[in-house]
Order: sequence, then structure tokens, then C-alpha cells
Amino acid sequence: MIVGIILVLGLIVLYVWALYNQFVTIKTRIQASIQEIGNQLKRQANLIPNLTAAVKGYFKQEKEIFALITEARKAVLEALKEANAQKLVDASEKMQRALAPIRALFESTPQLRSAEPTVKLMDELRDTADKVMYARRTLIDLTADYNIKIVTFPSNLVAKIFGFKPEPGLKTPTEGEHLEVSAEELKTPKVGESL
Amino acid sequence: MINVYELQDSNKRRSALVIAAFIAFVVVVGWVFARLFDYGPGAIGIALIFAGLMSFASYWWGDKIILTLSNARPADRQRDFQFFTVAENLAMAAQIPMPKLYVIEDSAPNAFATGRNPQHAVVCATTGLLQKLDRSELEGVIAHEISHIKNYDTRLMSIVTILVGMITLLSDWFLRGARFGRGKDRSEGSLGVFLLLLGVFLALLSPLIAKLMQLALSRRREFLADSSAAMLTRYPGGLARALEKIAADQEPLEVANKATAHLYIVNPLKNFHSGVGWFAGLFNTHPPIEERIRILREMR
Repeated sequence: MIVGIILVLGLIVLYVWALYNQFVTIKTRIQASIQEIGNQLKRQANLIPNLTAAVKGYFKQEKEIFALITEARKAVLEALKEANAQKLVDASEKMQRALAPIRALFESTPQLRSAEPTVKLMDELRDTADKVMYARRTLIDLTADYNIKIVTFPSNLVAKIFGFKPEPGLKTPTEGEHLEVSAEELKTPKVGESL
Repeated sequence: MINVYELQDSNKRRSALVIAAFIAFVVVVGWVFARLFDYGPGAIGIALIFAGLMSFASYWWGDKIILTLSNARPADRQRDFQFFTVAENLAMAAQIPMPKLYVIEDSAPNAFATGRNPQHAVVCATTGLLQKLDRSELEGVIAHEISHIKNYDTRLMSIVTILVGMITLLSDWFLRGARFGRGKDRSEGSLGVFLLLLGVFLALLSPLIAKLMQLALSRRREFLADSSAAMLTRYPGGLARALEKIAADQEPLEVANKATAHLYIVNPLKNFHSGVGWFAGLFNTHPPIEERIRILREMR
């Protein structure tokens, strides 16, 4: 009888222990992916001046395009100061949109595509964009896991004991918007096809 | 139409089914041998240890052995930029440590993954693959390899190899014993003759059956890796296009041989594919590439 009770108690302690560790691990990973987004945006921001220098003189409406990029760069630097995931992602999307004309130019201009440094630059930019995309998706997945664990039985009891709160993550309020994100992600590889 | 999550679940279920059938087969054959030929539990244990020792080397040092056999050089970020960065990204997405990357100088496009666990994993690609595929196609292929690592396919196939080896050893010992007239005294008439015949039959066929089950499992794991890859990249089209390109390529991979063929993303021994029909399909390490492409194209 006593052995039985001890066994059951032991199992419960093990379960709580494992769950606590899971919560903490996911939380750390969420932080890490936010940091990864930040790191990549920093890297991207450092590459931009070289890029604008490389494509100077190719555009007719150069001023507007460069102004958009400068503005996006400012938004990125601002978001980096706060280290807020949502702001980082918004800034990175703004930057992607601002860079779109340069990608188009790159694809339609053989001179640029044969210049080794520019190709390298475009490759690096593609990679930072990919890394932000994967880090963002990891963040969304992890947050979903974490928040589901916090509300479902019996892990919600453990969360309550240790005071784990739901993570804000990134905004994906409706099914529709979530689908929009993945449609956007499908588009990204297309850019690379002719890289 | 089936979504990626359902496909992955169904692949995992079928894989588990094949593994269960395999273990059941090994247990039954082991038991029959023990009963018929007085092996006793000791002999089965010894067979298991022997087979285990033989596969242990390939399990523990497998990555190094295979890389040496295939003449691979380590990849670097400057020279193999796309390969390196794509692997970095997918390792992050799969939440495994970054695998070691190697490149084989060969114009036939192919790739493989090995290593006993995600901490000791190796992904290897040929220069042909890196030159012929664009970034999203390469992403599909590397995602397939990373999935093999994440699903512990190398470990699974090592265990299965140990079991196949055990069956082969048991039947081999029996055939030897029967030839030299050892084993049970079989002078009790027609029943004894029948049992002996059954034993010979089993001894001859069981290694083949075990091997076929191993191949069936290998094909299952390929499908699973395909669907997990689609899950990682959320873009099954990339891998489908890559498979089309690899299938269209006629060059055989020179460094591959029968021992390493099952590791690659597509069977590198192209002439093995020439057999058609259900029977030839039984002996393939990989499912038909057309079927893999069709399933990837149907994914959402």
C-alpha cells in the first residue's frame, strides 16, 4: 500500500519535473529565435550600403527606391533597439518590399549578374531573408506549442504552479492571415530561381 | 489531396507497422530454429552478439568509413555558399545541431546523410548536385537529408541490419550443421524428414525474406523523409523539381557501390532501376522516383 502511494507520488513528481523542463526549454528557444531574427536583420542592414553602391546609376527613379530602403533600414535599426519580435518581423517585411525593385533589376541586368561581388551580395541577402523566414516560422511553431501546453489539461496545472504566462509570439489571429503568411513564403523561393 | 501533417503521420504509422512485422518475423524464425535444431537460447544470443559486433563498427564509425570510401572533402562557406547556408537554415528549422557538411567531387547529382545521431550527423552532396540545382531545389534535397537525421533513420537501419545479420548467421550455422550431420538425431521416420526439409527451406529463405523486409522499410523511410522535407520547407515543389532533374540525369555516381547505395537520396546505381514491375520493385532500396514526385506534387 505505502509502496504504491510512493510510486504514484514519484511518477507525479517526475511528470511535473519533465514538464517544467519542457516549458523552460521552449521559452529559451523562443528567445533564441527572436535573437536570430535580430542578428540576421543586423547583418542585412550592414549589407545594404554595399548593395546600393553596386546598383547606383542603373535606375531612373533611383531616389524613390533608395529613400524607401533608407526608411526600411531605419525601421530595422529601431526595432533592433527594442528587441520586440513583432516589430522585428514587420521591419524585415518592410525591408523585403523595399528591396524588391533591386532584385528585379538584378534579374533583368546581365552586367550585374556577371559581376562576382554583386552576385555574392545578392546571395548573402537571399540567405538573410531565408534565415529570417525560418526563424520566424520556428518562433510561430514554438509559441503555438507553448501556449497550447499552458491551456490544456494537465499541463496547465503545472504552468499555474510555476506561473508560466502565455507568450505573445507573432500575430496570427485568423486562419486567413496565417495562410497569407505561407503564401508569401511560397513566393520567396521564386525570387531565387534565377539567382 | 492530403496535407503534409497527415502524410507524415501515415508514413510514421506504416513505418512502425513494417518494424513490428520485422521484429515478429525475427522472433518467429529464431524460435523455430531453436525448437527444431536444439539451438537453445544461448545460440540465438550468440548470433545476436556476433551480428551486433559486426554492425557496431559500421554504426559507430559509419560516418568516417563512408566518407573515406566516397572521397569526400569538407564543405566551406565561401566555396559552397548555397549548400552551407541552406543546411544552416534547415538545421535551425528542424531544431537539430548543424550537421557536418561534405562535398564529393562528382558530376552525377546526388546526396546522402549518415551518422549515428543528430550530434554526429553528416550531410554529403556531390558537386554535380550543387551545380545543377537552384537554391529552392537544393533546399528540398537538403531538407530530405536533414529529415533522415531527425527521424534517426541511420540508427533504425543499423538495428535492422543487426537483425538481418542474426537471421543470416542462424540459418548459415544450421546449413553447415546439417551438412556435417550434426544437430538433432533425425532417425524417427517421415516426421523427422519433414522437419529437416522445413528447416532447410527456412534456412535458405529466411535471410532473403529478412532482406526484403529491410528494403521495404528503407523505402518507407524515403517516403517519410520526403514528407518531412516538405514540412520543413513548406514547399514540396522544390524537392519535386530536384528529383525530376536528378532522375533525368543519366550519369552514374562513380564512388557509390552496393554497400552505400541505400544512403543516397536517389539510388545512385542507375542500372538497378531498369527492372520493371512488382518483383523488381521488391529489391529496390528506394521507391520509384516517379511515385515520389507524384506524391510531392499532390501535397498542399
